Amino acid sequence: MLEVKNLNVFYGKLQILWDLSINVGDESVGLFGPNGAGKTTLINTILGLVKPVSGEIVLDGESLVKMETDKIIKHGIAIVPQDRELFPFMTVEENLRTGNAYIARARKKYQERLDFVFEIFPVLKERLNQAAGSMSGGQQRMVAIGRALMSDPKVLILDEPSGGLQPSLVTEVFHRLKDLKKSVSVLVTEQNVRQALKAIDRGYILENGKIAMADTADNLAGNDHIRKSYLGI
Amino acid sequence: MINSIVNKFRQRNFVLGFVAVLVIFVLLGIYKPYVLIEGIQRSSLYALIALPMALLLGVVGIINLAHGDFMMLGAYFAYFMNVQLGMDPLVAVVPALIVFFIFGMISYYITFKHVIGAPELNQLLLGFGLSLVLGQAVNIIATNQPRKLSLDYVSSSMKIGDFQFGTYEFIYVAAAILVLVGLQLFLKKTRTGQAALAVGQNPRGAKVVGININWIYLIVFAISVAIIGAIGPIFGTRNTIFPEVGLAYTLKSFALIAVAGIGSLTGVLWVSLILGLSECLVLSSLEYAKWSDIIFFALIIGVIMYRSHQRQVK
Repeated sequence: MLEVKNLNVFYGKLQILWDLSINVGDESVGLFGPNGAGKTTLINTILGLVKPVSGEIVLDGESLVKMETDKIIKHGIAIVPQDRELFPFMTVEENLRTGNAYIARARKKYQERLDFVFEIFPVLKERLNQAAGSMSGGQQRMVAIGRALMSDPKVLILDEPSGGLQPSLVTEVFHRLKDLKKSVSVLVTEQNVRQALKAIDRGYILENGKIAMADTADNLAGNDHIRKSYLGI
Repeated sequence: MINSIVNKFRQRNFVLGFVAVLVIFVLLGIYKPYVLIEGIQRSSLYALIALPMALLLGVVGIINLAHGDFMMLGAYFAYFMNVQLGMDPLVAVVPALIVFFIFGMISYYITFKHVIGAPELNQLLLGFGLSLVLGQAVNIIATNQPRKLSLDYVSSSMKIGDFQFGTYEFIYVAAAILVLVGLQLFLKKTRTGQAALAVGQNPRGAKVVGININWIYLIVFAISVAIIGAIGPIFGTRNTIFPEVGLAYTLKSFALIAVAGIGSLTGVLWVSLILGLSECLVLSSLEYAKWSDIIFFALIIGVIMYRSHQRQVK
């Protein structure tokens, strides 16, 4: 599905990602690491917002490296940004529609996608006419995930989905994530490793722009380094 | 659309404003009917010229200080089409739309494309520079000699009782309504229009839902230039044209949009109405006619002071 091979990314003269390789199949994959490890840079590179100096990003056999962001999204990558990036003056319905309207493949399945989003976040159905900017942080996160799902993605990327949310909502978001991985490949970056490990199949540990460890969620949860550095046990 | 109108009437401020406008209309109609008619015609011209700028500035946030100069070019286009080919200026609106759409695309590629996302000052300086270049280019090609088309139909008039008034200027009213409805339909009903709204509200958000934001900036800029370029011929039928004729309209449009609230197309229509009627009312008095220009600036200063006061209160 999504393969990142030997990626080297620089900001000016500073190298951020070092020969980095990951892959996401029909599964849910976590990307963990401390602040500044390069998680967001990797996501921005996959999305074409940052261009790598060398390396490959391939989705279903097709290279994404030279594509612009809108083309990459049209190819089947969807992102739920850390800051949500909603359209604050549009209603929930209009926000969801923008997630769907510019992807030809998804446009034909508008109602089907909408029903799928309502199935995962029933609360959105009751708030279709509310301006997205007037909703709480947790609800806005749901709209952002819903908007990404409307594009019928092959790979759904969630950047720090628990950021800024109260603990009960974090549990809720990861609960939904478990449902999602049945129908779409998921790549999630997260600092809340304890919660995320319950919702994913495999995980990568990113440190100083390099993959420090890659294993299944169960093995990572049992690893001493992870327990000490990320789970505080 | 009907729903949104019904919803508007549910808002107390809108109803109050609507009633106030109706009362002013009735009082003016009885007291000085020519002020009412001329005021509506003048307002429509202001709104007509400001609407394409409202699309560009209010929806996608591009400040185009060469706005009025594109109208000036449109007026010269119609003038020369008339003199050289005998084409009626109102017919020239159609080719002007196409020519200026393409010209808008080229202008965007050469100029504004490079300042998208940069601080507003860059856009202001670029627009100002473009305005000078366009004005001077016309100056070199067509000289600064004022030009006016002689058309019979522009002096058509109507008489009701003792009251006689020009009817041709109602073309501004029709054109303003047409442009407003057209732009509203474009923004509400088309995918490109919705994308333009999305880009205006959050360019990064628009990018991550698969919108080609460079294309949207280009298209909206080209539409704005096409409309203002096509307004040029209508403007040129009634007014004398010269290379700097657009400058005053750029400033008025900019101020109108600032008063109406950035992003509000219908607001532009209302503010134009207040401005046009007030100007005509002052002009109708022999004693105070020369004060009419001050009305405009007094209104802007008043609204900006009120808004900043409101912000401080909040």
